[in-house]
Amino acid sequence: MKRVFRHTLKGVVVFGLSVLLVLSAGQASKAAGPKEIKIGNILPLSGPSASVGLQNKQAVELATEKINAAGGIKSLGGAKLVNVFTDSKGDPNVGVTAAEQLINTEKVVLISGAWNSAVTYPSTQVAERYQVPYVVPVSVADKITERGFKYTFRIAAKDSWWTDYQFKFLEEQKKLTGTKIETMAFVYENGDWGTGMAKQWHERAKKFGYKVVLDEAYPSTASDLTPVVMKIKTKKPDVILLTSNAADAILLTNTMATMKVKAKAIIGTGGGHADPAFRKNTGKNCEYMFDVVEWETDLGRPQIPALNAEFKKRYGYDLAGESVDAFASVYVIADALERAKSTDPKKIRDALAATKLCVGQGKLGIDILSYDCIEFDKTGQNKHAGIVLVQFRDVKGTMERVTVFPTKVARPGFKAVFPMP
Amino acid sequence: MDFDIILQAIINGLLTGSYYGLAALGLTLIFGVIKVINFAHGSLLMVGMFTAYWIVKLTGWNPYAALLVVVPLLFLFGYGLQGFLIKPVLIAQRDVREPTEVIIVTTGVWYILDNLALMLFGAEYRVVQTSVSGQIFMLGDYIFPKPQLYGFIITAATSFLLVWFLKYTKMGKAIRAASLDRDAASLMGINQYRVYNIAFGIGAAIAGIVGCVLIPFYYVFPTVGVVFDVKCFIIVVLGGLGSIPGALVGGAIIGLIESIFAQFIASTWTELIVYVVFLAVLFIRPAGLFGEKRDW
Repeated sequence: MKRVFRHTLKGVVVFGLSVLLVLSAGQASKAAGPKEIKIGNILPLSGPSASVGLQNKQAVELATEKINAAGGIKSLGGAKLVNVFTDSKGDPNVGVTAAEQLINTEKVVLISGAWNSAVTYPSTQVAERYQVPYVVPVSVADKITERGFKYTFRIAAKDSWWTDYQFKFLEEQKKLTGTKIETMAFVYENGDWGTGMAKQWHERAKKFGYKVVLDEAYPSTASDLTPVVMKIKTKKPDVILLTSNAADAILLTNTMATMKVKAKAIIGTGGGHADPAFRKNTGKNCEYMFDVVEWETDLGRPQIPALNAEFKKRYGYDLAGESVDAFASVYVIADALERAKSTDPKKIRDALAATKLCVGQGKLGIDILSYDCIEFDKTGQNKHAGIVLVQFRDVKGTMERVTVFPTKVARPGFKAVFPMP
Repeated sequence: MDFDIILQAIINGLLTGSYYGLAALGLTLIFGVIKVINFAHGSLLMVGMFTAYWIVKLTGWNPYAALLVVVPLLFLFGYGLQGFLIKPVLIAQRDVREPTEVIIVTTGVWYILDNLALMLFGAEYRVVQTSVSGQIFMLGDYIFPKPQLYGFIITAATSFLLVWFLKYTKMGKAIRAASLDRDAASLMGINQYRVYNIAFGIGAAIAGIVGCVLIPFYYVFPTVGVVFDVKCFIIVVLGGLGSIPGALVGGAIIGLIESIFAQFIASTWTELIVYVVFLAVLFIRPAGLFGEKRDW
């Protein structure tokens, strides 16, 4: 009896194995003409940056869906893009393991990610070693594309470009309005971020010939910022550049209004000034102040309203600068695959390096950008990536962030009020 | 640096210092009477601010009219806190010279209150627009922000009332007696725990007053107490533990240092000056400016 049973078992196993074999052979024959192209995505899907990681994932999924629905990669027989998402938890170690796994186990042809600069930095190194292209939609740390890597391509602007745009804007306004701007005050929170920005401001002020009359670091947790505001008032700078967290941005703005501090322009650097709480809690006091940001929903690009509505309907919130970069990145990847006509990572890399995608070529992901083209320089940095300036304006009774610079993407019907009244 | 600016800086320093002093007043009172460092003082401030915030937000009252509701509410809150939470620990530690467990209890209260606020209201910063927000009063070329000016007046009135209460009322005398020697006071028929409840209630009520003073120009959030906590401790120790004039003068000194020195050096460094002055005072007068050399 026992023997019979064992015999049957053997038979079942053999049968099962052969079925599997046949099935996998079928799979193999299917894979011969690539119907699916696997893209690895490393994102923080849990941990402190999970909410932004999720927004990035959603943007990637929406863009992939659109590209696949439009016929996939035509030069590869209409192959569909398939995303493999791995969670980095925002942890560099996990990110490195994820990159290894995506390349060795999942056999992805390309990696995209990883939002946190601290994760992108080491995981791009893994991809470089395996010679697999790595597209970086958003991580902003300058050094990511400054290591001479051949396989890393970044779409977003570098950190240091933010201060660049603040000065570009001033130069343009000086010419446009004939306003005289000679002196500047730098007022910033005394942490890493604020002091880093101030260092860049000093370099640029020197380059453009502005006189720095005040360089003031203050503690973000201050209970009173009147002394700082007094100092600004005494020095009477033409322009005030700020780097603040939310609470101090509110306190500073309200105190400046109380102490009647006037300047030709007050420009923030995102962070606290971009927080919705800032507008809510300063009200009229923030009117005509400026802030820099990578993207706004009100940009003068005709495709944005429909896409934003679709995104909002599906996920419940507006597109943000980072989700737009992630959305565009899928179009960049698809375009590179199209031109590479191959899933060989080396050929994809060469195609990526030759990318030149511009607004108006019928590619939705590109048409919603705040700047005109995506083109990588030899370090892999998108050299056209841009920042926009918004001005806080009273639009029919509510304080809104209105894009005013660069002029060609300004919200239709608006231009910067400069100098501030 | 001209004279005008220094004078304006002095004005700002005194105005700011007045609400620092007011915030420290409750802490010093509680310490003077119960001999307990109340680590939940910042949280009491936060509760005071949130109470004032919601009253002004929901009813649209003048923030100073809200005092009529906030002060009794916070008094009851402090009274209950002492009566239900701290008293049992004090009794258990009756024979201990320094009731350290009470400090741990107040620390617990701090965490619980801050996190309750976080749960109920979220971490966001809230500012309420009041009829005095952003208003100023000009005297010649000098600017007096109205909310701070009213804060100064309220601080003066509160301190005056408190001193009067402690000096001339029966309960005030009992509080002073208990603060001098709790055992002797008990022997004279004073219910020391009732005195403690009332002292704690008054301390909390003052935190409520600070809340009403602050909301026209400061934002409320669950950990706002931490911003003022360290300052209050410095002021109380600088002025002398348990001393009412000490708290007020200490507050003015900190306010003036922050305001005047910031005109000459980066404001990040004024904190350094504050601590140097603090250490210097402790070195020369270990009991603080107005403190008495007394064995607690």
